[in-house]
Amino acid sequence: MTARLLKTRRLDGLSLFGLITLGILLFLGIFGPLLPLGDPTRIAAGPRLDAPSPHFPFGTDELGRDFLPRVVQGIRATFLLSAIAVAITAVIGTLLGLMAGYLGRTTDQAIARGADILFAFPALVAGLLVAAVIGPGQVSAITVISIATLPLFIRVVRSVTLGVAGRGFVTAAEVAGASALRVMLVHLLPNVMGAVMVQLTYALSIGMIIESALSFLGLGVQPPDASLGSLLRQGSGYLTIAPWMVLSAGVVLSLAIMSVNLVGDAVRDALEPLKGRPLT
Amino acid sequence: MRLVAYLLPRIAAALITLFGVSLLVFLSLRLLPGGYADILLGPFVTPEARAIIAQRYGLDQPLVVQYMRWAGAMLSGDFGVSMVTQRPVIAEFLRRAPVTLQLALIALGVALAAGYPLGVLSGVRAGAQRKKRDFGRLVGAMGASVPDFVLGSVLIFVFSVWSLWFRVGGYVPFTADPVGNIRSMMLPGLTLSVFGVALILRTTRDAVLRVMTEPHITAAVARGASPGTIIRRHILRNAAIPVVTVTATYFGFLLGGAVIVEVLFSIPGVGLYIFNGLLNRDYAIVQAGVLLAAVVFITINMLADILYALIDPRVGAVR
Amino acid sequence: MSRAVVDINDLVIGYDTGTRQVRALDGVDLTVFADETLAIVGESGSGKTTLGMAAGRLLPPEAQVLGGRITVCGVEVTQADDPTLRQLRHDRLGFVFQNPTSALDPTMRISRQVALAMGGRPGSQAIAELLARAELSEPDRILHAFPHELSGGMAQRVVIAMAIARNPELLIADEPTASLDASIRARVMTTLGKLRAESAASLVILSHDLSLIARHADRVAVMYGGRIVELGPAAAVLDAPAHPYTRALLAAAAGNEEPGERLRPIPGTPPVLAGRAEACAFAPRCLFREARCEAERPEARAFAGRDVVCHRAEAVIASDAPPRQEVR
Repeated sequence: MTARLLKTRRLDGLSLFGLITLGILLFLGIFGPLLPLGDPTRIAAGPRLDAPSPHFPFGTDELGRDFLPRVVQGIRATFLLSAIAVAITAVIGTLLGLMAGYLGRTTDQAIARGADILFAFPALVAGLLVAAVIGPGQVSAITVISIATLPLFIRVVRSVTLGVAGRGFVTAAEVAGASALRVMLVHLLPNVMGAVMVQLTYALSIGMIIESALSFLGLGVQPPDASLGSLLRQGSGYLTIAPWMVLSAGVVLSLAIMSVNLVGDAVRDALEPLKGRPLT
Repeated sequence: MRLVAYLLPRIAAALITLFGVSLLVFLSLRLLPGGYADILLGPFVTPEARAIIAQRYGLDQPLVVQYMRWAGAMLSGDFGVSMVTQRPVIAEFLRRAPVTLQLALIALGVALAAGYPLGVLSGVRAGAQRKKRDFGRLVGAMGASVPDFVLGSVLIFVFSVWSLWFRVGGYVPFTADPVGNIRSMMLPGLTLSVFGVALILRTTRDAVLRVMTEPHITAAVARGASPGTIIRRHILRNAAIPVVTVTATYFGFLLGGAVIVEVLFSIPGVGLYIFNGLLNRDYAIVQAGVLLAAVVFITINMLADILYALIDPRVGAVR
Repeated sequence: MSRAVVDINDLVIGYDTGTRQVRALDGVDLTVFADETLAIVGESGSGKTTLGMAAGRLLPPEAQVLGGRITVCGVEVTQADDPTLRQLRHDRLGFVFQNPTSALDPTMRISRQVALAMGGRPGSQAIAELLARAELSEPDRILHAFPHELSGGMAQRVVIAMAIARNPELLIADEPTASLDASIRARVMTTLGKLRAESAASLVILSHDLSLIARHADRVAVMYGGRIVELGPAAAVLDAPAHPYTRALLAAAAGNEEPGERLRPIPGTPPVLAGRAEACAFAPRCLFREARCEAERPEARAFAGRDVVCHRAEAVIASDAPPRQEVR
């Protein structure tokens, strides 16, 4: 699939922007702690609520902490939490979708209804319920992201599986005596991977929005840990006197989500090329 | 007849979904450590209060009986009593519902008014020129990427520093002061709408692109129909079908409580109520909020299914 | 002969697939006269659909005209501006597509679609009359139907009615019966032929099915590898083919096909050209080939009352043994 993505001769500007931005943010997220950016937890590294300056490009917070390494720490937490949640969900959702699409009948009914049930919970309201039941924190955030994105994977994988299940090579495998598990994992899984990849990027962007929203409400990442959402929560208390906190964390968060979305669009365009016609 | 045959299984599915939702909410609050009484009353519960709760909710009964009693109470409109105010939760929800509804309608209106035409325009352009690069993709990507609390925070900052016409914070009921109400609701409504604009734009754009690959569009071009005619007569209607579904989903989420925006702008709607309920450990409110949000969501989607069947004559037809 | 409705000169069309160029038409010369039925026959991939769509400039954007001219009813199609072209399509052309159900807007009742094709505000009486001309029984019932409620044959008659709604000078039908039941193919073809004769229009039928069009066409053009390899009066071409490909098509169509089966008459597959063919494109599959066929591009020449593109036409027309099929 990467090959096909690269074969699209003209990777347009927006996709390129998304790829580069995502690359930079991932680099910062992974290697951030090793970079000479300063200690995100050091209190009174500078004056309190100091405006951005060459020394503190993102300013300082109310405890005089350098906000740049805080944001880098936040990128790491936001990406990591959402990625873990989405990865787990993708595996479960893909398997359930394969089962629903291939086994059909009662299994299909049960899984499709289950997806409907999860889909009926608005993400943040569900987040409030989860926070009430298991308490605020990272587990809570991962659970909410899973609830919100599991139906996406199930539905997409199910519909792709339904389209593929009747094809010759599947019938051939069945006639040759392959077990249902083997048919699903060996023959059907490769065919749904493209659709899963596209959903993966969209789910990741939804996951990042949910994580940061929960953290913004104080229900996700808890201090002293920081995610981009919790930094926004921190900054919103000083919005009028120190807007750089909200602005820097907000811009970085928006860029992060946007880069994931753009890469998702590029993957989708490569997998299903645009076809249309002039109306003249 | 066709409509009935199409809708009956859908109504059945919606009821099953509703049952599943209620079961999930019920179990999630009962099966967890600490027990329902603790969740309901908080950790500092006296044995007397615990006994009253156990009696009231039948906590000594088997789970099935408990669920029946619980669901029965919900069905008869008894969603529990707020711990803080000692008043029925449902009354408070009904009192706040119009505020959330107004917010949702503003957001939905803006999202449709901006997203649908832009999506059609962008889709037609992109389809005609086979260009992936166009404003529709940019606007769509940006709108879907800026979280509402980031946008809301920025708007609050801008409008509280330069106090323009809009009002930041301080909700005014419509009945008290219509103009003031609009002034206080526009910013949160717009904040809420941005994701919707992107969502509807992207859905419409994809739908238009898909319709444009269909042979009947080529057939219309071959008949010498003008682009305007083709868009008006053929593309708009065909592309509206997926947009209806997405719009319903979006509206359902909006009505479920725009928690973030209501918290951010202090709008006394359903979302803020549920959030405060959580903060006050007033779990009856959270429980009712989740259930009501799901009910509204499922209902809206049912209505969308009906609309869908009206737009697309193929729905429910024997294939 | 009479006036030319379509005049095509050395037309070359390529498709840009994103990774490479594929040549669909490799120098086509063709004239369609007024009041005639011309059948263009070839396997899928021979370029016949590209040719038909090019006449209305209906090709997708990745198709590029690399050379040549198409003049339709006096309009130079490759150069015309959009309004001129729209006027041409609107007033003088009628298209009938392969799959009638998908050529109709699924969300619109038949009456509205036909009314749109007729233009203005026709009354339901006029619409019903038009449908009756296309030999649709019960036009009143069909008026209120949606496309998915019609059978393939009925839908194709609706499409035909829409195509003739403004009395076009040229009707182009791309595999008009390929998606229909074998039992109604001939009847739809007869309707098409009758309507053409009534209005003295020209009809171009694109088909892979030689036996079906044989009875309905005045002239036959056989396409292979993006070129017209044999063009002449239907009787002459079908009775004594001068091109080995025509000959093979006829042999394959001689009654040994199942109804509804798509023909794969000749061993091997049609070529995919990357550029101008510098030899005979059919040579690899040809039973008559000799060294020259693989070295020199054959050009069209008049021979035995038709135009043929073959170095070996004399040998082909002289051979009377049924062509043996062998896989190379």
